[in-house]
Amino acid sequence: MAAASVIARRGKADACAAAITAHYGVTLPTGPRRAASGDVVFAGVGPWRWIATAEGADAAEFVAQLRERLVFVAAVTDQSDARLVVRLRGPRVRDVLAKGVPVDLHPRAFKAGDVATTLVAHIGVQIDMLDDGPTYLIAAPRSMAGSFWSWLTASAAEFGYDVSRS
Amino acid sequence: MSGTHRLQSGGLIDRGKPLSFSFDCESHAGFAGDTLASALVANGVKLVGRSFKYHRPRGIFTAGSEEPNALVELRGGVRREPNTRATVTELYDGLIAASQNRWPSLRHDIGAVNDRLSRFLVAGFYYKTFMWPAKFWELLYEPLIRRAAGLGRAAGAEDPDIYEKAFAHCDVLVIGAGPAGLMATLAAGRTGARVILADEDFRLGGRLLAERCEIGGRPAVDWVAEIEAELAAMPDVRIMRRTAVTGVYDHGQYSAIERVNDHVATPPEHEPRQRSWKIVAKRAVLAAGAHERAIAFGNNDRPGVMLAGAARTYVNRFAAAPGRRLAVFTNNDDGPRTAADAREAGIEVAAVIDSRTGARVTRVRGRHGVRLIDVADADGRTSTIECDALAVSGGWNPAVHLTCHLGGKPVWNDEIAAFVPGALPPGMTVAGAAAGALTLARCLGGGMTAGVTAAAACGFAIAAITQPRADDEGAAVTAMWHVKDSRGKAFVDLQNDVTTKDVALATQEGFGSVEHLKRYTTLGMATDQGKTANVLGLAILAQASARAIPQVGTTTYRPPYVPVSFGAMAGHHRGRDFRPTRLPPSHAWATEQGAVFVEAGAWLRAQYYPRAGEADWLKTVNREVAATRAHVGVCDVSTLGKIEIEGANAGVFLDRVYANTFSTLPVGKARYGLMLREDGFVMDDGTASRLAPERFFMTTTTAQAVRVMQHLEFCHQVLWPALDVQMVSVSEQWAQFSIAGPRSRDVLAKLVDADLGDAAFPHLGCREVTACGVAARLFRLSFSGELAYELAVPARHGDATIRAIMAAGAEFGITPYGTEALGVMRIEKGHVAGNEINGQLTARDLGLGRMMSTKKDFVGRVMAQRPALLDPERPALVGFKPVDGARRLRAGAHFLKIGAGATAENDEGYMTSVAYSPMVKSWIGLGVLRRGPERIGERVRAYDPVRNGDVEVEVTSPIFVDPEGARLHG
Amino acid sequence: MRINCPYCGPRGNEEFAYLGDATVRRPDPAAEDAAAQFYEYVYLRDNPAGSHRELWYHGGGCRSWLVVTRNIRTHEISDVAFADAGDKP
Ligand SMILES: [Zn+2]
Repeated sequence: MAAASVIARRGKADACAAAITAHYGVTLPTGPRRAASGDVVFAGVGPWRWIATAEGADAAEFVAQLRERLVFVAAVTDQSDARLVVRLRGPRVRDVLAKGVPVDLHPRAFKAGDVATTLVAHIGVQIDMLDDGPTYLIAAPRSMAGSFWSWLTASAAEFGYDVSRS
Repeated sequence: MSGTHRLQSGGLIDRGKPLSFSFDCESHAGFAGDTLASALVANGVKLVGRSFKYHRPRGIFTAGSEEPNALVELRGGVRREPNTRATVTELYDGLIAASQNRWPSLRHDIGAVNDRLSRFLVAGFYYKTFMWPAKFWELLYEPLIRRAAGLGRAAGAEDPDIYEKAFAHCDVLVIGAGPAGLMATLAAGRTGARVILADEDFRLGGRLLAERCEIGGRPAVDWVAEIEAELAAMPDVRIMRRTAVTGVYDHGQYSAIERVNDHVATPPEHEPRQRSWKIVAKRAVLAAGAHERAIAFGNNDRPGVMLAGAARTYVNRFAAAPGRRLAVFTNNDDGPRTAADAREAGIEVAAVIDSRTGARVTRVRGRHGVRLIDVADADGRTSTIECDALAVSGGWNPAVHLTCHLGGKPVWNDEIAAFVPGALPPGMTVAGAAAGALTLARCLGGGMTAGVTAAAACGFAIAAITQPRADDEGAAVTAMWHVKDSRGKAFVDLQNDVTTKDVALATQEGFGSVEHLKRYTTLGMATDQGKTANVLGLAILAQASARAIPQVGTTTYRPPYVPVSFGAMAGHHRGRDFRPTRLPPSHAWATEQGAVFVEAGAWLRAQYYPRAGEADWLKTVNREVAATRAHVGVCDVSTLGKIEIEGANAGVFLDRVYANTFSTLPVGKARYGLMLREDGFVMDDGTASRLAPERFFMTTTTAQAVRVMQHLEFCHQVLWPALDVQMVSVSEQWAQFSIAGPRSRDVLAKLVDADLGDAAFPHLGCREVTACGVAARLFRLSFSGELAYELAVPARHGDATIRAIMAAGAEFGITPYGTEALGVMRIEKGHVAGNEINGQLTARDLGLGRMMSTKKDFVGRVMAQRPALLDPERPALVGFKPVDGARRLRAGAHFLKIGAGATAENDEGYMTSVAYSPMVKSWIGLGVLRRGPERIGERVRAYDPVRNGDVEVEVTSPIFVDPEGARLHG
Repeated sequence: MRINCPYCGPRGNEEFAYLGDATVRRPDPAAEDAAAQFYEYVYLRDNPAGSHRELWYHGGGCRSWLVVTRNIRTHEISDVAFADAGDKP
């Protein structure tokens, strides 16, 4: 998965949003939400800041194109190698996540398309809710992948889990 | 089978599920639904432990988490858990428990001699006796006291079980599942609100399980079952059994401890024993009930004396008879009720001694269990009554504890002669007995109102609910605290062996404040936190000092409400998961090489790479240094903080956050940068490279990476928001390797597609290259003083890249080096690092004063010019060598003039870093010395009393190797 | 404590770092009495028994510096705003 941080330049938030709409056909979320167009997703992770991802894309190409398209309106930085991303799905996912995610994931509080940046087991993560399956994506820093995995598997063990590569 | 004291019928036990257990190696039988305490009662076991100080025989006193006496060691081997309350220990088949604080046996305990010596063991005994000589504390007093005091023994081995932490969120948190809590949950749940009902018991119902009462014309337990079924069917109501809410924190946060698998011998695989919860609730209803309190009279601690409410619990809920002939001593209507319940269960009632008639119990007789009680009536006539159990009720104390955790003070209520909640934590309401409403009807009504109100406050419309019919029976109480004509010790706090005499003595000695009383006598401390004792203690203190109870006040209730194990507090975070570990990209490769690792902050870094035959780490490090300086070495430096800074004002921004100038840095060049705090001291150092006119790449030290990022965000968002600057950490994105040594260029020439000649790529150059077919960045930077490069590749290629570097370097003798060799080489070059950037030294102190630009403002500039920081007497950075080349240096040693005494006034500075230098062939050091740069060649003492170090050293330049910098060019 | 981050929503204080008084302003370094002003700016703080404006950093979330108006006696938080009001979307 190719990933890049996108930070709007000073006073260029609107221009940045317009450029993204023009090139990717999505409305850039203003809050912690995700907007997808095909395989390209923009997830709000802070004021003026998004993580753009593209499933299956070449990292260098995706980032170069994004940078070119957003030149003068946003700073684009490759983060494709910075993150471990896991997709979690299943009826007990919320019970697993409750063992470390401090954010309220009840369906009334956190809906499909919502994004949260938070700390899980002292590790900074980005959580995206994809659908009501429920399915969540969690991105953790690459260097802490082992510790994150240790927490995740320990938390899921009670319910049982399968691991597969995508 | 069923136990000598098991009633033939009744109770909420499952007689179809018999369980066997052992107490002090003796086998007993119980049923599912029993607690350890109820099973002991059913088996006629009265003596269950010895008291803390006097080793007096003690029995079961309560039926809940407030138990002061019946603390046992539960389970055996590595799962042995001391100080477990038998009253909240759910019975399971094969349970093993043992009494505590006795030797050689519970019945014959040598420590009981303390009871005879009690004249000397009064309140304040430890303070008075062990005051002098003070130095004997560690040597003698403390070990002595520790052996004599204390209760159970910890397992002494690592706990094999799993513990967890978890988060929960709700609209309404209901604490306690008695009549008030159940009504509150029902009322709130029906509105559609998200409700959590938490109760420490394994069965919902609270006091309803223990009393013979009716709700809506049916037995209360049937009503409980019906409510429970309705709640279970509500998707947004979560019932948490075995879960005690232990603390209240700001803004609707609550801590709770769930004893998930304490009721089985071994938790099922992958399941935790306990789980500690953080619950976030918009509103809370406290329905924690009330604790019954005792009355102080002679030998009121004897086994067989128990609270009347507990006696009813054992009779009604557990079908276990506390005795065959029961007497009741009461100051309220619970006395007659207890007698009635006992008679109904077929237990003989010897007497009801009601203090409201002037009658009282003056003494209990029978050392290991009640045999006789001495009674006096209003006219002073005395009599002796034969009985084997005595139920005592001194009234009820609302469980106000959780209302006090944010500073609320309970207030005295004369009607029930007890403290009731005062100012409440925001968002909390109190219902039922916890609010001082001591009748069933008031509990149900109060709970319903609280539930409706709490849900409405969260925006949920009221749903249909009616209050079921129930008794509004009286609860008249006339305060009676202490039988003054008692004979024998009259206990106030059973757990801490505090007697009425101790309270009186404390008052007499001037400890008149309730907080002083607590600390002087230990009243209210330990596992029960005085739940049955505090108010009694206050009342006696009030009497002794001729004040009213409200004037005496109460002690401060703090979390946790019930004991919480350290395991539950740690949860997942123990052993290697104590905190997250960060692994650099070369970790797998370094592991294959047999590297020894060191924790550097959260990172696990290769410290050195030992080879077969190397006797110690120093041999290895010397080899790594020598090989790097002679040939070439490689080190993973991915742990450096890496930040990309973009924007039209990026250069200006860097000028403001660094002491030196970056706006003039040409594209394709890197520069060493020094960052100060606003107070003028050095915060961090690193480099910044200009990748494009409006794009910089900054590195920070490993240690300060997170802090620097926060500081930069502060500078941008708070100080200078108008600047067009965007910054983001790329620490995780890039793997970065330092390749250092005279042959480093030759190694890189095989890996990258660029002209590495001095002209095309000079020292402090940076450029994008292709390395092993991957888009990479190359920097010509040197920390070692050698010709050196840092090659950065996207992190996924880090492992392949270190292997490629090693392969390419094989013909040049490339050697991987770790943090030790890195440290040696930077000390040899006099480069500062974390030891010198210690928050107490300025740029001037470090010999970097000239880096502070005079042409611009920057963070720390003004404060760095404070006269005291410009004082030439300040210690400044120099190097040190032992005069005797064989001596070892130690960081932390302080410098003294030769011949000067080792006093603080003579202190001239301190050693910050030391290393053995294979180049100098002795230990070398960096340090700060008063007027150091002027004293090169002078000798001083490096004095280190902590490690018996006292070495004469010569002051040198901080640069030990290649002062001209010729090696930078290979 | 919980702080209602204007970007992320309410979060526990473990996600935040505290800096302190948000009312102090970095002085003009060119001012004649810059040394005295910086001394005050760096070291001198009021400790009002009541409402206080404080800087908190949401490092465990959106990385925003926030100005939190908090009553120091009761911990009641009456307002949370971005330190950099800027031209946020
Ligand atoms: Zn935030």
